[in-house]
Amino acid sequence: MATESENLESLVNRRYEHGFVTDIATESLPPGLDEDVIRAISARKNEPEFMLEWRLQAYRQWLEMREPDWAHVHYPKIDYNEISYFSAPKSDEDRPKSLDEVDPKLLETYDKLGIPLHERARLAGVAVDAVFDSVSVATTFKEKLADVGVIFCSFSEAVQEHPALVRKYLGTVVPRRDNFFAALNAAVFSDGSFVYIPKGVRCPMELSTYFRINAANTGQFERTLIIADEGSHVSYLEGCTAPMRDENQLHAAVVELVALKDAEIKYSTVQNWYPGDENGVGGIYNFVTKRGDCRGANSKISWTQVETGSAITWKYPSCLLRGENSVGEFYSVAVANNMQQADTGTKMIHIGRNTSSTIVSKGISAGRAENAYRGLVRVMPQAHGARNHTQCDSLLIGKQCGAHTFPYMEIKNPTARVEHEATTSKISADQLFYCRQRGISEEDAVNMIVNGFCKEVFKELPMEFAVEAQALLNVSLEGAVG
Amino acid sequence: MKQASLSIEGLRSVVEALPPDNLTPAREAALAHLGEHGIPTLRDEDWKYTDLSPVVDISNRWLTAGGGRQSPDTLLARIDEITGSIDANWLVVANGVVLDPTFPADGGNGVQVAKFSDAPAPLVFERPLADFNAALLQDGLRVRISGTVGKPVGILLIDQSDGDASVSQAWAEIDVDANSAVELIEYHVSQGNADHYANSVLTLNVGANADVRHVRIQNRSTRHVQTGRTSVSLGRDSRLDMASYDLGGGLIRNDIDVDLSQPGADITFNGLYLAGEGQHIDNHTRVDHRVGPATSAQEYRGILNGNCRCVWNGKAIVHEGADGTDARQANHNLLLSEKAEIDAKPELEIYADDVKCAHGTTVGQLDERSLFYLRTRGLDKRHARQVLTHAFAADLVSRAPVDAARSTVSAIVDARLADLIEAEFAEELVS
Repeated sequence: MATESENLESLVNRRYEHGFVTDIATESLPPGLDEDVIRAISARKNEPEFMLEWRLQAYRQWLEMREPDWAHVHYPKIDYNEISYFSAPKSDEDRPKSLDEVDPKLLETYDKLGIPLHERARLAGVAVDAVFDSVSVATTFKEKLADVGVIFCSFSEAVQEHPALVRKYLGTVVPRRDNFFAALNAAVFSDGSFVYIPKGVRCPMELSTYFRINAANTGQFERTLIIADEGSHVSYLEGCTAPMRDENQLHAAVVELVALKDAEIKYSTVQNWYPGDENGVGGIYNFVTKRGDCRGANSKISWTQVETGSAITWKYPSCLLRGENSVGEFYSVAVANNMQQADTGTKMIHIGRNTSSTIVSKGISAGRAENAYRGLVRVMPQAHGARNHTQCDSLLIGKQCGAHTFPYMEIKNPTARVEHEATTSKISADQLFYCRQRGISEEDAVNMIVNGFCKEVFKELPMEFAVEAQALLNVSLEGAVG
Repeated sequence: MKQASLSIEGLRSVVEALPPDNLTPAREAALAHLGEHGIPTLRDEDWKYTDLSPVVDISNRWLTAGGGRQSPDTLLARIDEITGSIDANWLVVANGVVLDPTFPADGGNGVQVAKFSDAPAPLVFERPLADFNAALLQDGLRVRISGTVGKPVGILLIDQSDGDASVSQAWAEIDVDANSAVELIEYHVSQGNADHYANSVLTLNVGANADVRHVRIQNRSTRHVQTGRTSVSLGRDSRLDMASYDLGGGLIRNDIDVDLSQPGADITFNGLYLAGEGQHIDNHTRVDHRVGPATSAQEYRGILNGNCRCVWNGKAIVHEGADGTDARQANHNLLLSEKAEIDAKPELEIYADDVKCAHGTTVGQLDERSLFYLRTRGLDKRHARQVLTHAFAADLVSRAPVDAARSTVSAIVDARLADLIEAEFAEELVS
């Protein structure tokens, strides 16, 4: 049990170790991966035959794939047979009984972020239902959504309740063998979210995993599928600004978005998984495949992300712009402090006529972190009138960090207009001096300058999220200057 | 698509048949290294847009036929024509054979020339294509510049290929002493109806406070393949102004590596590539800023027409501690045909914080409004396109840093652009 003297590192590591504890008598599977493990996962989830077959095929394809090594990140080799691929949510006995048992350092962070008291308990992994009843809130929302026909449930539930929809769309944006981590996810994914917005419906509220009752402990292999039918609109929020308690080190999630004719999906992420301590010990490996398919004419998919957590981030939310006049957007703030490594960016594949895309990426590196933007803009021969503008800026804080840019542009159509701009800068002594002489402390001055640097992205976030993101940025960069 | 591999056995037997000389150890080392690593394929990140199958294919055919070398004699008239057109002291490598200099090159006028057969240079390869070059190398050029040299020094790399497929190598090392100034011209040209692969390596070491201007012209036959590596290192407070013009060639791949490990160095390097039907021109540049302050600026421009593909990959690496670095990259492309493709990749890797780094890339076509403006002034469609295309290229032509070479560059660019635009209209007539 945690004592007050334990620091954040040991707290998180302890939990991480517990995540791998294998007690066959309980609900976890032993570490290791073979077809039997996949059959067991599928059986426990009571999945129909097609899901099992799908998982097995993914597994067989995964066996033939090689782990990618092109990203600008370094980490010890992962032994995939050391991981337990199914562990049921922790029982309440294992959890801290109350906030008194939680590391004070973590609580201090919550305080700085202005997280309400009852939420702190949930985030710190305190057995939630005893403290805060989220069920009633969620039920209210669910009724409201059902009125307009929106389906919003866990992936497992969708497999049971809406197998036809799952079967129609699953893996159509991120195929099973898309990449190493996506294939692994397809084979063993634990759970995730499923959203279907019917024709012509504008989702009456912003959807967030937060309000899904069984969102807790979806595990390390999450899978999300969002379908916006013709003329519909949805805004989806993923993640949370507060540091999340998590037991698993490797996260390989997959997100698939489908926007049909005239539909719009806005997907916002705030990612703040445990980044490891200042020496790079511990921390989450976040290897995520996110892709949106603008399948119909005039559809639009917009990705906004604020990435401050994880020891290693490997993530490229992408858009396939297939429909005529479809629009793809990517707004990103990626912060890497201490020993964090981030290799993130986007892909915009222009396939339909008059498609357009916008990329705004802001990378901030501090401490000894490495932060890379990697992006692809591809204009296919048939994509007449394609338009892209990419702006990609890096801010360096300190002498030992790295900021890197790897943009790829592959243009196969002469009517395309593609522009790419990138700059790199640091917080200048002049800027700091100006703020200091106005009586602003150094830390506040840096926060102010950094927030200004990220403004273009923050304005794309839903209001409450934007406010939280700013606070998060300040906390993430704490101690980076001076 | 799987790329065939280079016949290392064939290569070994050709290398072993060469008469022993003072390059023998270097050849053997290069052969061993190449045998270990092989020729890069599309799976290598640095080669993902350029398929070296033609290099492998031509080389294998040539090796199977015994790896012979054609006499440079058939080229003498062409050599005279070219060296006569640009006023410079010319050094010539013809079909891989280093010819004797025709000017006094004993160092009296600041230019000292030696052959590898007399004084081998410490060859640095460790790159597959440089290995391939070194494994077959029989001779090379060592040039040393001291003081301010009035007349430009030209190096002509010329090849003829008739009958069977052929391969040639050229290797030149240029050392510029401290406080010296020189203008260099590097001219690649080829003729003949058979397949040919030319492989060149140029090393340029610029001494402290030296001032070097360099123009590179590549106007090979569109049947021919060339890969070239240029390694540059700059001394303290030295300056290098370089411009590269790729106007011909079938498959062309240029690698420029710039090493800035002394403070105060300043390099500008620009490039223009014009690609028409069937051409593939790939420029890879890499600048290593190891200390600051130092400045690097590059601007590449391309005009593409017909079924062709161009690649530009600019990489700037600012190493830890290289504060005061100013690195700029720009790449602009005009796509004139539906079948043309450009792959651009401006990369920055930055490990220091007091730096200024920026890159910009654009891809587009001729501006409709500018065309309309010219049409309202009475220019016909073809003429209007010519004017705008020329203007796009002229900027880089006018910046050719060696005066003596500028008119030649300008003439070839004009002729090439006329061809490209002609082809565009021919295409329109057919469709």
